[in-house]
Amino acid sequence: MSFSVPEIEDAEVIFNMGYNGPVSHPLVARRIVRAKKKGCQIICVDPRKTETARIATIYLPIKGGTNMLFLNAMAHVMITEDLIDHDFISRHTTGFAAYAKEITQAQYRPEAIAEQTQLNPEDIRKAARLFASSKHTITLWGMGITQFSQGVECVIACSNLSLMTGNFGHYATGVGPVRGQNNVQGTCDMGVLPNVYPGYQAVTDPEIRAKFERAWGVSLPAVPGLPLTQVPDRVLREPDPKKQIHAYYIVGEDPAQSDPDLEEIRETLSRVFVIVQDIFRNKTCEYADVIFPATAWGEHEGVYSACDRRFQRVRKLIEPQAGCKTDWEIQCLVATAMGYPMQYDNTRQIWDEMRSLAPKFAGASYEKLDSHHGVQWPCWSEDPEDTGTQYLHAGGQFATKDGRGNFLFFPYTPVQEAEDAEYPLSFSTVREVGHYSVRTMTGNCRLLRSLADEPGYIYMNPADCKPLGLTKDELVRVVSRRGHTITRCLPTERVAKGATYMTYQWWVGACNELTNSVFDPKSHTPEFKYCACRVEKIADQTKAEQYVKDQYAAIRRQMGITGGTSV
Amino acid sequence: MTAYKKVNTICPYCGTGCVIECTVDTEHNRILEAKGSPDGVNNEGRLCLKGLYGWDYLNDPQILTRRIQKPMIRRSGKKSPLEEVSWDEAIHFAADKLKTLIRQYGPDCVMGAGSARGPGNEAAYITQKFMRAAIGTNNVDHCARI
Repeated sequence: MSFSVPEIEDAEVIFNMGYNGPVSHPLVARRIVRAKKKGCQIICVDPRKTETARIATIYLPIKGGTNMLFLNAMAHVMITEDLIDHDFISRHTTGFAAYAKEITQAQYRPEAIAEQTQLNPEDIRKAARLFASSKHTITLWGMGITQFSQGVECVIACSNLSLMTGNFGHYATGVGPVRGQNNVQGTCDMGVLPNVYPGYQAVTDPEIRAKFERAWGVSLPAVPGLPLTQVPDRVLREPDPKKQIHAYYIVGEDPAQSDPDLEEIRETLSRVFVIVQDIFRNKTCEYADVIFPATAWGEHEGVYSACDRRFQRVRKLIEPQAGCKTDWEIQCLVATAMGYPMQYDNTRQIWDEMRSLAPKFAGASYEKLDSHHGVQWPCWSEDPEDTGTQYLHAGGQFATKDGRGNFLFFPYTPVQEAEDAEYPLSFSTVREVGHYSVRTMTGNCRLLRSLADEPGYIYMNPADCKPLGLTKDELVRVVSRRGHTITRCLPTERVAKGATYMTYQWWVGACNELTNSVFDPKSHTPEFKYCACRVEKIADQTKAEQYVKDQYAAIRRQMGITGGTSV
Repeated sequence: MTAYKKVNTICPYCGTGCVIECTVDTEHNRILEAKGSPDGVNNEGRLCLKGLYGWDYLNDPQILTRRIQKPMIRRSGKKSPLEEVSWDEAIHFAADKLKTLIRQYGPDCVMGAGSARGPGNEAAYITQKFMRAAIGTNNVDHCARI
């Protein structure tokens, strides 16, 4: 995020696109509600009528998969109606003329894309005018932008809107991808990425690499590595054994539940040497050759990075379960056994080594984190005066070579698998407020489990339920080109006719049996938000109910649970 | 007299970064309660459902799955059963196999996935250092892409 979470409530306009805050980040959503109370006007763009849509000034129920058409139309209106900030553009950006030449073409008029996006063109014009009316317009987006095969380009298209209206570099303005997991920001910060070391330093830069080689006393590879979502390809479809992946060391992940096209993932995991390091038995353990038991949140110390770049210390609450070791200790032991000794006494030693190598984080000592309720990076200096950075790009200075924000134009790329006669409905994965990710944590919390349990629901418009004769709670079979799953029907007017949605944490009603492993070419993020499916009625409901029960019981047995009942 | 202590920590769920004040029963090694801490810049004393009730898994109630408490290995491939072994044996089993594969196919035959959840930044730093310095590859990534 370029701004901080508390700033959201001082926004005058919130442009909320593909982001369901009330479900995925309730305490961010609280700021949206508070902003509204202070007079903020909200634009909500989402195919589903979310809670944010209900309090929006302008709600745009966009057809899934047409984000770029809409974003280009927004830019078209801003430029052709001259709603833009000429001064900001000339002093702080590059590439505007070339960008404007493309975007002002008639094909990007709201009227020209109305049919494909299923939006009212006058509403798009109103939204563009409202967005451009303030210097305190905040953009929030989530997976509804990024989990498409044209995800990265739509992120850039969102940033273009903020650039052309001067909505960067001061209080309560800018762009905010709200990060899903507690430490997905931190894992990026620490360089658990194939192309950068900690602090976003490129592995391809010889000077940077030399610095890490000196610090770690070893020569380091110069080419970027493989993105995680390309592993199945390198196992199943790479003909040269020398280029294949033969071993997969997985820390705190459950690809056999979380990744797209589970059939393909299972095949991948059964062909390679798999090391799993985790707190719970999960689906991936079935394919593990080695399992290391790790300590959980609450059993160890550390630092997490919040979505607004804030480093905060995590504390040990209780003594760990017998037999577990911290994640860092386990990997140090394996490294040492392989002939590369790694040894640390505590997390502070690791944090200090990291800070000595990552200039953006150098000043964020444990002491500063303790005395300032955390520190937001960049924090360059140990000087007590440097307490971090509340918002990025102050004064219109961007983190580019020339310090300017770049306009980049992208034409629309359609989704990879559209509906057809055989699979007439669109399918998207979504989140649920009481459960989290693959559910090993929340599924083992008694109260949260009592709120929602297997096999979950498919959200469908009543008009799509009617011809199939489906009623609420009825078990249905959902089928895509990759596979099928079983779930319950939930008719709701909140979703458009022709569109369906499932939450992704269920093990029996596993929606990733259906999803498509096609990717954004830049981010390698799967297109979780769009594929084609059909829903089938199950005649014998009694048998289907028993099947769900049996499946749940079988999974629990596989996970080593002997007592108790489940469904 | 049971000893209770209050500890401020960060929620393990979404990316908002809420500060939680936990009440811990140190004698029985259990968490009793979680409340939003007024010290939390982003949550100002409030929490959502997951923050309030999402710590129960530490008590291992064995609803969906169970905690792993011993290292395990399959001695002879995927078909063989998982066996509980000592830490020393599991570490050397993994290290030897990785070394063998690296000798045969080179370091880029190994892929590492880090965790964006509980382990934290220090563990994440070690994961990428392990992959880059000990294995010798940049094949390291995590679920930000997913």
